Amino acid sequence: MEQSEPPRPVFHNYLRAFYPFHPAGNVSPSTVTLPLDQGDIILVHSVHTNGWADGTLLDSGNRGWLPTNYCEAYDQMPMRPLLKALTDFWDIIRGGCGSSLKDFGNQDLMRGPIAGVRFLLEKSECLTRESPLVRRFDGLRRIRKALLSDLSSLVKTAKKFQEVANGTPSEDEVEGILDEMLLKAFKIVTRGVRFLDVWNEEVGLSRTIAELESNEPRDQYDMPPTPASESFSCETEHPERNESRMMESRMESRMESRMMESPQMSRSRMDMSRASMRTESLDHPPRPVSVATKRVSVSHRMSFSGPSASIRAQNLASERLGTTYDAFLGVLGSFIGLHMQSRSSTELVVTTQQAVQSCRALLNVVESVCEHDTQRSVLLDQARESMCEKLSELVHAARDVFCPAQSSDEDLVFMPDEGKRLVDAATDCVRAAGNCLARARLVLEQIGDIELDPENTETELEQKPQERQEISLRLPPPPLQIPSTTYSPPTPALTDATTPSSFQSHITNSPANLSALSSLPNSAILPTHLENMASFSSTDSGYPESHAKSDMTESFGRGVTSNGSSFTYNRHARDSEMSGVSQTSTRATSPDIGGSFQGSFHGPSLKESVSHSTLAEENEETEAHLLEKTYAHELIYKEGSVMGGSLRALIEKLTAHQSTPDALFVSTFYLTFRLFATPLEFAEALAERFEYIGDTPHAAAPVRLRVYNIFKGWLESHWRHDRDNIALDFILHFARTRLVVDLPTAGKRLIELGEKVSAVHGPVVPRLVSSIGKTNTSIASYIHPDTPLPPPVLGKKETNLLKSWKNNEASLSILDFDPLELARQLTIKESRIFCSILPEELLDTEWTRKSGSLAVNVRAMSTLSTDLAHLVADSILYLEEPKKRATTIKHWVKTANRCLELNNYDSLMAIICSLNLSMISRLKKTWDIVSAKTKSTLENLRSIVDVSRNYAVLRQRLQNHVPPCLPFVGTYLTDLTFVDHGNQSLRTLSIDESKMAVINFDKHMKTARIISELQRFQIPYRLTEVPELQAWLQNELVRVRSNGEITAQTFYRRSLVLEPREASRSGNTLQSQSSDYNHSLLDNAKDKFDFLSWTNQSKAKSVPTHG
Amino acid sequence: MRPQREYHIVVLGAAQFVQNVWIESYDPTIEDSYRKQIEVDGRQCILEILDTAGTEQFTAMRELYMKQGQGFLLVFSITSMSSLNELSELREQIIRIKDDENVPIVIVGNKSDLEEDRAVPRARAFGLSQNWDNAPYYETSARRRANVNEVFIDLCRQIIRKDSEGSRTSSDPNRRREGPNRDRKRDNKRPRNRRGPCVIL
Repeated sequence: MEQSEPPRPVFHNYLRAFYPFHPAGNVSPSTVTLPLDQGDIILVHSVHTNGWADGTLLDSGNRGWLPTNYCEAYDQMPMRPLLKALTDFWDIIRGGCGSSLKDFGNQDLMRGPIAGVRFLLEKSECLTRESPLVRRFDGLRRIRKALLSDLSSLVKTAKKFQEVANGTPSEDEVEGILDEMLLKAFKIVTRGVRFLDVWNEEVGLSRTIAELESNEPRDQYDMPPTPASESFSCETEHPERNESRMMESRMESRMESRMMESPQMSRSRMDMSRASMRTESLDHPPRPVSVATKRVSVSHRMSFSGPSASIRAQNLASERLGTTYDAFLGVLGSFIGLHMQSRSSTELVVTTQQAVQSCRALLNVVESVCEHDTQRSVLLDQARESMCEKLSELVHAARDVFCPAQSSDEDLVFMPDEGKRLVDAATDCVRAAGNCLARARLVLEQIGDIELDPENTETELEQKPQERQEISLRLPPPPLQIPSTTYSPPTPALTDATTPSSFQSHITNSPANLSALSSLPNSAILPTHLENMASFSSTDSGYPESHAKSDMTESFGRGVTSNGSSFTYNRHARDSEMSGVSQTSTRATSPDIGGSFQGSFHGPSLKESVSHSTLAEENEETEAHLLEKTYAHELIYKEGSVMGGSLRALIEKLTAHQSTPDALFVSTFYLTFRLFATPLEFAEALAERFEYIGDTPHAAAPVRLRVYNIFKGWLESHWRHDRDNIALDFILHFARTRLVVDLPTAGKRLIELGEKVSAVHGPVVPRLVSSIGKTNTSIASYIHPDTPLPPPVLGKKETNLLKSWKNNEASLSILDFDPLELARQLTIKESRIFCSILPEELLDTEWTRKSGSLAVNVRAMSTLSTDLAHLVADSILYLEEPKKRATTIKHWVKTANRCLELNNYDSLMAIICSLNLSMISRLKKTWDIVSAKTKSTLENLRSIVDVSRNYAVLRQRLQNHVPPCLPFVGTYLTDLTFVDHGNQSLRTLSIDESKMAVINFDKHMKTARIISELQRFQIPYRLTEVPELQAWLQNELVRVRSNGEITAQTFYRRSLVLEPREASRSGNTLQSQSSDYNHSLLDNAKDKFDFLSWTNQSKAKSVPTHG
Repeated sequence: MRPQREYHIVVLGAAQFVQNVWIESYDPTIEDSYRKQIEVDGRQCILEILDTAGTEQFTAMRELYMKQGQGFLLVFSITSMSSLNELSELREQIIRIKDDENVPIVIVGNKSDLEEDRAVPRARAFGLSQNWDNAPYYETSARRRANVNEVFIDLCRQIIRKDSEGSRTSSDPNRRREGPNRDRKRDNKRPRNRRGPCVIL
């Protein structure tokens, strides 16, 4: 059982109505309520804590508020990728229309729905038309066909959109097509849901019956439906609710008793809270959006949670016992609840199966405890046997309930006896399990806790991966958590007696209403029964008619909806986008979505809708075309960009045939793949892609060419001999045996390249550093190559001085040179290092490595920056006269200003840093002489390199800067460090029941983005180098550096020698000066100063520790 | 006075503290990446956090950072003894620059989630804390978000205390050494004693 994930509030992306909701009466116009029919699927946008959710009804595309207690999470495993694809799709289209144009320019997003449908068909063993299930079940075949034609229609629309988008479309046109696509995607999902319902009824049923009979309840992922009559089980009181309350108290009392028995009280408490949280978080992929959790009612249960559990021994038998028991209780609770008030067949099927599963999980643990118990506790054995008995009784009861539903076609009567028997059996089961648990704990206390093999409980399921995933299915949100006392939406809640009675009146009123009822997408109604129902109302009651008749009830709600949509238009940005759809797509105006689709749900009209659909007659080829093999469901999207994915899915994206891959995506791959895969894995994944695209003939050629191109680019310009050589043999082998066969020319070229790489040690193609990973082509403003370089500002006097310095005849000071020339030479020096920074130096915080760091150039940058700062301090502090010091300060300020003019922020930062050092800033006598003009220039410079607000000023300046420019490298290093340490390298993707850890590609994209931002500036300056001046500067810098570690302290002492502290006044001096500086540093937050006042006051009396 | 207080906090030492680990996607230009609002003893405080991660080698920059700060988090990694040893130099520099022995400082032993790789015994960290005039010591896990908030609250409380002391005319620089102001009401709310400042989760 997975516990590594910390419990998180769960947001269910999709809900399914299990109860119709038709708001009647005067709902205030500000409330846009969404009428629901049983079985409707809703995409949820947000959930208010009061229990109302803002959602879009997939049937109609309408958006509005709906009561969540009428719904339950829809998260069937085979549907997950499709649901996820729809969410992504929605986020793209509705998330921001501006970017959607670009995103749809390539067909990438079509891959999600395609992969989703493929996954669904695969899981249901209906992937090909020839599969036995499809051949055997007509209903399944039809709905499968309809599903595929829906998909094909979406793909076609997307293609159309691509064409339109490539032209110059009008906004309306684009909007129109986008809406159309979204509605088509909705349709696919609803159709998929329907498909799964039918599958459950036709296939899941017989399978599970067979399994139950063989008394070896193997888990298929779905089970038979119950009697279809649940929608008729109208009672004024809702037993489910009562039951859940009952169950809750039962659980609680049980828990209490367990705590009493258990010596590990705190632990079992923890188990409980964990289990209840897990039921929330396991089944449903948490959504990264911070919206309120749906289930407010669990709060009392959550309150058991102590401090977050750290490392826990998950495999201890006692732990396992606790968790399986908790899971069992949860499942049984929901089982009992469901059978008292059935909702949908699917739900029921799943719960029954889960009940059996969780029983078995518990039994497994108990059995392993037995095995470890050498003395074979008789009591435990008895308890276990009794539990086995109860379990088989439960299974039999379940079978008896299900069987009549299948055999007798006419039988629509709910069998309260059977329901009662089932509940009794389940209750007995709970009792027996409690007993069993107590005994097992007792034994464990005697023999000591044992460590269980992690896979112990699951080994027998391992043969079939999908079954393994089912393990976690044991924990659906039990109904105990659904509508509880703390959870009260202001609508007629479930308990409200009016709802069921009005429901009843539907039935008794007229046959027309009854037929309207039958047209509810109630999955529990078996086709056979439907036939019945249809004849009940009128001879040919296709959907449209029954709809017309039931208009009286329907129009009420719908009318409110469309009115409301236009109202929301004014209120919510995101709403407004949707309202366009809702207005055009209410059932009355768009029969395509509402009508034919709705009809296709139900017996007679099912045929009609299929025959309506001309696309349904797609040939086999198109099917194969549509269902190309893809791993797209292993990608995580957010707002249209890839956030994460498995290696193979990312490779697939990298080599997608429909679109040119995004430049940043490709460069990120080249730059960072070594952080998430070995070079060999990368090569192998590319080769695998080359192979499996062969299944999709129409795409094979372009994809294979792309695979080749990726290899080529790698070998040519991104090969790192130290890391990648291990993959070379594989690549050569691939080129010789596979590539050559399909693409002879490419194969040969790759072989040549590979051989070249193995022979050469440097880059095969001369590597222009600044071109690597560069995503934007914003280079320096164009300067004609013949434009002469600016001549150095160097007179005869300076040249001569430099000459005599070279001959050791004279000493020089910076005052001897023009600030502009100094700034230029410093810039040339720094720029040279900056331009040679390789991207790999910036990965994985390479530059912080204590020893053997490969980031030589990054290190050289920080060294130069530090040296320059020290040189500034040195040049000031070794002057005896305040006046000379002041002159030197002025000179440096001028130089810094010149650096700014040259966009050399790195040198600017170093100089300002140095002038800001306390040993400089404390020299009051010196600063008194510095002119006001210099001071104000300095102020200005300081404000530019201000560190506050995370270098906001500096960042702002660099944002749209045109090179040449030397940015301060430190900000990039900080950002890279944050991205590296602040983001996990893996993301969790829950596609199947199992959670899949995939590469957090977003982290790498971020890294690459920062690096490319830095690379944008890696363009050399057009300045004339003065070698003599460079030599002198270098000499000076080395001289300062040779003072080593003690430099700072030496400077400080020197500073104190120059201007000693004045016992009482120095504080004030310091104060005035530091406040001077802080003025610039903090002037955006004036109120920070009182902190300085205490510095001053407390300082005045404290004893200086240094000096 | 001001309805909301704003304080500058500087994070120095082992770079891996990364206080804003809870931000799913780090965007340095977004205020949230360096500002943090916390409640300290019922007061809302805004912290502007300067995390120097990644720029340790720009030693000349340190002073600039230090000048900016009113309170300091000196971070080491419990998996590296040298990272602990580097802190003393930083503290000396802070004291020199601030010219104040009692600068608000919290010692942070980060990566407490890597207990199995621990290289710094708690006793060592305690020792450092004692040598530093009982500067509070916390062990945190940025990854697990354990104790991260507590660190900021403690530091902020120190700054506030200092602030109010500073505004009093008769400030006593030795006050802290005598004891952590037990007469204060807000201290009573805290069961934790400043004398035994290590908090380990």
